[in-house]
Amino acid sequence: MSLTNTVDQNESTPFHVTHETVVAVDLAILASYDEAQEEGEPDFVVELIDLYLDEAPRIFNAIHEGLTNNDWLSAKRAAHSLRGSSNNLGILQMGVIADELEHLTTNHQVAGAELLQCLKNEFTRVEEILLAERLRRLS
Amino acid sequence: MKILIAEDDPVSCRVLTTNLKAWGHEIVVTNNGNDALQALQRDDAPMLAILDWMMPGLTGVEICHRLKTESHAAPIYIILLTALNRKENLLEGLEAGADDYLTKPFDRHELRVRVQAGARIVALQDNLRQRVRELEAAIVERQHAEEQLRSLSLTDHMTGLYNHRGFYNLAEHLAKMTRRSRTKSLLIYADMDGLKQINDTLGHHAGSEAIMAVAEVLRSSFRDCDIVARLGGDEFAVLAPNVALPDSRKLIERLRNNLKAYNEGGDHPCQLSLSIGAVEIDHNYEFGIEDQMAKADAEMYRDKRQRKELLTQRT
Repeated sequence: MSLTNTVDQNESTPFHVTHETVVAVDLAILASYDEAQEEGEPDFVVELIDLYLDEAPRIFNAIHEGLTNNDWLSAKRAAHSLRGSSNNLGILQMGVIADELEHLTTNHQVAGAELLQCLKNEFTRVEEILLAERLRRLS
Repeated sequence: MKILIAEDDPVSCRVLTTNLKAWGHEIVVTNNGNDALQALQRDDAPMLAILDWMMPGLTGVEICHRLKTESHAAPIYIILLTALNRKENLLEGLEAGADDYLTKPFDRHELRVRVQAGARIVALQDNLRQRVRELEAAIVERQHAEEQLRSLSLTDHMTGLYNHRGFYNLAEHLAKMTRRSRTKSLLIYADMDGLKQINDTLGHHAGSEAIMAVAEVLRSSFRDCDIVARLGGDEFAVLAPNVALPDSRKLIERLRNNLKAYNEGGDHPCQLSLSIGAVEIDHNYEFGIEDQMAKADAEMYRDKRQRKELLTQRT
């Protein structure tokens, strides 16, 4: 798995916490799930994309709720889950930001909110890439 | 095989189930720790579980703890699945009782071989349990056979004398023979005095030694053709065929003398004492060995009582 082949330049990132920048979606990782594709079944990668696009906004809500209710553990758990699914599918930048959110040690609310915004911004980009991939696969 | 997946992230869950199903496994899915624990505590629980570390309810590590502290007949093979790739976390998981771990994002091939390794261990444990069950069954069968053999045996294991069964079998037979030859027999019922006290004060080993010594004295006091038996516990019986009345007295006297000689000679941990009941059986009459034994038993009690009274008068 290559994490550094494309370095993304996202200069508009407003938050003060800095994290490394990696490729938004490593399509090679995503494509590796074709190996599990069963004959005659719907496209497995498309299914995973749909699951992810469905799940991510739910996780944003969970993180948001956790942060506003001062329930750090729930926010952390949601970020952890997002990190897992992101990294699994090669959605690497999301994984990096989620990892940082999950491992915040201080300043949960402010830094957490900033990182959540980062996740949402990143997700707009990711969604675009994933939808394009989805379309390519279905056509 | 049947595998439980506990994973709250639907993407990871889908990847896992799709792969595992493709490899022919039957999958049970839960998306939180509490449901997972419940599923693993059922009688028909999957023998292999892939548990996410962090999920709502109990964490994967907590489930490991719970399962390992409860005594399970068949331990469940647990693979912890985690995005926590920091080493100390893995150590914690393995210490909690996980058998293996996989870090996310996981590699499909690694997943396959780790699950295979787990399945191998589960199969080995299964074989082992099966083997233990078979051995246990064989032991029980053997014990039954030995019991049966013992019940068929005619001799007393401890003393080598005839046992209860041996005595009655031979006594009945002998009775029939002596009735034909119209001779008399001597029946002796002997009970050890104070065996309980020996057991209580010197221990059961000394008790056994005393029983064996009595057996030896009895054996040496009677003839080869006499039936000498230990009926059980501290009770002995002798049936001596072809004995006329004066010989009866002599035989009993010899027994008493041999006991005395034993007690006076040598360094023995305890003194031997027998209460003896003797009846002469006249085979001209119908001979029932049970009735005669009851008579000899009553005689023996009379002797025991007299000896006790004598003992209390002396002290």
